[in-house]
Amino acid sequence: MRIFENAAFRFIQSRKTGYLISGILLLLSVISLSTRGLELGIDFKGGMEFVVESSELLDVNEVTNALSGVLEGATGVKTFGENAVLIATAAEGEINAIESAILTQIRTSFPDQTHEVIKTDVVGPRFADDLKRGAIQALLASLLVIFVYIFFRFEWRFSVGAVAALAHDVTITLGLFSLLQGIVPFSLEINQAIIAAFLTIVGYSLNDTVVVFDRIREYTNLFKTDAYDNVVNRSINNTLSRTIITSGTTLLVVATLFIFGSGALRGFAFALLVGVIIGTYSSIFVASPVVVELRNRAAANRK
Amino acid sequence: MKDNGFKILLTIGFIALCVYYLYPSVHNLFLSNKIESMSGEERTAYEQENNTTIKTVKDKSLKLGLDLLGGMHVTLEVKIDALVRELATDVDQPFEEVLADANTRADNQGISLIDAFSQAFTERDPNALLSRYFRDTDANITRRSTNAEVVTYLQAEADEAILRAIEIIRQRVDRFGVTEPSIQRQGARRIVVELPGVTEQDRVRTLLKGTAKLEFRLMAEPQALLRTAQLAIEAYQEEAAMDSTSDALLAADSAGVVSDTTSDIDALLALEDDGPVNRLLQIVQPYPQASVRFGVVSEQDTAAFNALMREPVFQDLMPTNTTLMYHSSPSGLNAAGFEVYEILGVRNEIELDGSVITDAKVDFDEFNRAKVSMAMNGEGARIWARITGANVNKNVAVVMDNTVYSFPVINERIAGGRTEINGLDSQAEAQDIVNVLKSGALPAPLIIVEERTVGPSLGEASIQAGLNSILVGLLLVALFMIFYYRTAGIVADLALIINVIFILGILAGFKATLTLPGIAGIVLTIGMAVDANVLIFERVREEQNTGKTLKAAMEGGYSKALSAIFDANITTFFVGAILYSFGVGPIKGFAVTLMAGIIASMFSAIVITRIVMDYMVVERRIKVNYG
Repeated sequence: MRIFENAAFRFIQSRKTGYLISGILLLLSVISLSTRGLELGIDFKGGMEFVVESSELLDVNEVTNALSGVLEGATGVKTFGENAVLIATAAEGEINAIESAILTQIRTSFPDQTHEVIKTDVVGPRFADDLKRGAIQALLASLLVIFVYIFFRFEWRFSVGAVAALAHDVTITLGLFSLLQGIVPFSLEINQAIIAAFLTIVGYSLNDTVVVFDRIREYTNLFKTDAYDNVVNRSINNTLSRTIITSGTTLLVVATLFIFGSGALRGFAFALLVGVIIGTYSSIFVASPVVVELRNRAAANRK
Repeated sequence: MKDNGFKILLTIGFIALCVYYLYPSVHNLFLSNKIESMSGEERTAYEQENNTTIKTVKDKSLKLGLDLLGGMHVTLEVKIDALVRELATDVDQPFEEVLADANTRADNQGISLIDAFSQAFTERDPNALLSRYFRDTDANITRRSTNAEVVTYLQAEADEAILRAIEIIRQRVDRFGVTEPSIQRQGARRIVVELPGVTEQDRVRTLLKGTAKLEFRLMAEPQALLRTAQLAIEAYQEEAAMDSTSDALLAADSAGVVSDTTSDIDALLALEDDGPVNRLLQIVQPYPQASVRFGVVSEQDTAAFNALMREPVFQDLMPTNTTLMYHSSPSGLNAAGFEVYEILGVRNEIELDGSVITDAKVDFDEFNRAKVSMAMNGEGARIWARITGANVNKNVAVVMDNTVYSFPVINERIAGGRTEINGLDSQAEAQDIVNVLKSGALPAPLIIVEERTVGPSLGEASIQAGLNSILVGLLLVALFMIFYYRTAGIVADLALIINVIFILGILAGFKATLTLPGIAGIVLTIGMAVDANVLIFERVREEQNTGKTLKAAMEGGYSKALSAIFDANITTFFVGAILYSFGVGPIKGFAVTLMAGIIASMFSAIVITRIVMDYMVVERRIKVNYG
């Protein structure tokens, strides 16, 4: 079977449509990010989380009510896995005291079941700040390194195209996280694993982009007389089947991860799912068109 | 085919190396399965017999992260500000203000506390000398030492403090008995402690943080303490009366009543019912008679009481030289079913401290309750005899880390330097106290800034979910490749399987730890690993379309795809490296598998599939179908 074998789509010629779609998505993302914001997880917000497993699944509302008098500071209760609840609290103080207060209260309120703390996460406010700083630095550092590498292997226009596409992907994925939080039935908290997913998206999207760039580099030398637009368009078309196949296999495994993965991995897999799709789109509709725009502008200036 | 000799050798070498590194892991898996299936007796016998084998195999096998194995990961931070206060020979109001200022600066600007302290100190008064607060003849810090010299001294002390803290934590953990603990310094003032398989989180927390500062102190004058309680209730009653605007008149009346009958605390307590809210009585139940006890407080109100204690109104009423401390264990339950703790009045002077203790052991009293027996050195014994002799029929408080463990009444002068800590909850607690006493006191308090605990069952579930994803992902991708690329797809699948072995081999070889995100990384790599092959196969198809022979098309396909494979993978590898250097814990595990996956997939796609293809096409003259 061969798909897109003699693909001759007019990607570059119709790049304005791509700009429009990306523009709308970016605008929506920015609006959602600035109005709805992101749900920061404990890694970046600080606080304490306790997962209490019971012999039967407890009702989230009942647990919330039971705990309302015990803990100072905001408390959130969510189901976790099959028969456990995750209790997140902003209360400050001794971990032991808070943990035993929660457990005592749950044991008094639900005496018919057995309860056990199976997971705790505690992140101090300063530690959370450090993690946040580290995450932002990692994202920026990876963009910088990519810019420099592409600059040396290709030329600066390609660097700009690649980094623009990556920023586009990360922004839209973040935007989707912001837009869908609370709507989808799994957690979209931004935690360390999500940051790792974002960096993977950066790496993956770049992978796609570089393959197209490599073909552009090859065809620029091969078809010297052709218009640059056509060279780039042919490059995208001739790598299209590879782009689709690789995205397809990656989506297959990411979907597997999304289905089989437990709570923590689900948000991670979701970020990758979205990222792979957007990353594939952006290497065709953002990265290469940006290179073409920059090249055309330079040509216009020379005239 | 001749020129493939080196490639074949290389591939066989790598596979052999991976098998060598992975063998213990597989062996370990079989061993634990075997042990699992045995009955109790058989198991013990077998474990004894094969002790060394089990241990070596375990040591050499692929390490699982705490998120999969279950256990505790704790990041501790040395409280440098407390150390600075401790080192100061004279602490006054301006000193405390500068220290508080330094704390906020250090937080906001991300600089070291000592630098912030010296900055804040010089800004407050450019001519002031730090040596006024810090004297140390051993370190040669005198009245004439410059500020720079003092800062260097403080920095050296802080460095020393973290090294000592690590040493002490190691001893405590060893005495606690954890297999394969890991204790590492992180940055300037953090310590990361990893304890696989630990489930008693509460015990470990106390064990790690406890400075083990043992003190013997005399206690508050009962009459003075009662007087403080009465005055404090009045003061807060007045405050409440002032605040309540609706019942201003009534409140003023009752406040008037209060000052007439100050002697009877029960009358004061009765006021609570109908009067405006008294903030003190809301959280504390004062002790009605003259005693060293101030009152009791419910466990969830301790934070509120701590804040109230710091208020100037309250501070001013405290007898001079007296501090309030909590008892270490609850004295009972209140009406709402919460544990309540006694608040005790303790003198500020430390009569004797833990440095005189030469030995400590767990013991039992006549009711078979655990206690800690301690022996003192000669000097300690002499002082202890003098104190006990001079304070017969009074209480002495045994204080550890600002909590009163017991406050027995002294019956007679105690000679011989023996003493004990009573009032413990369990033998485990006694054991932990002995442990910290023997390991020595921490030079500065530690606080837990991060803790992650995963129960063993949760870890097992994660492993199962991870393995399922790997298998299903592998199967789906493999089937797809055969469907789309036919014969070539089968070759790619072979490379894919070797690829997974490579990744695990690299992880085992580099002694990396497999975490849950790491497993996700392997799953992801399976999807991305075929990319290099897809690039090559697509290129080969393109070459075939131009009418080249299979052999020529393969030559062209491999050589032309190389630059794209190289550039695309190396950039992703960079991202992995950045993730590794910024990430912590499990994320590092993800970064490692990502990087290992990239190297493995490049090698398996470029080298291994090439060997197989060459063999099939050139040697056996098989017509390989590229789909």
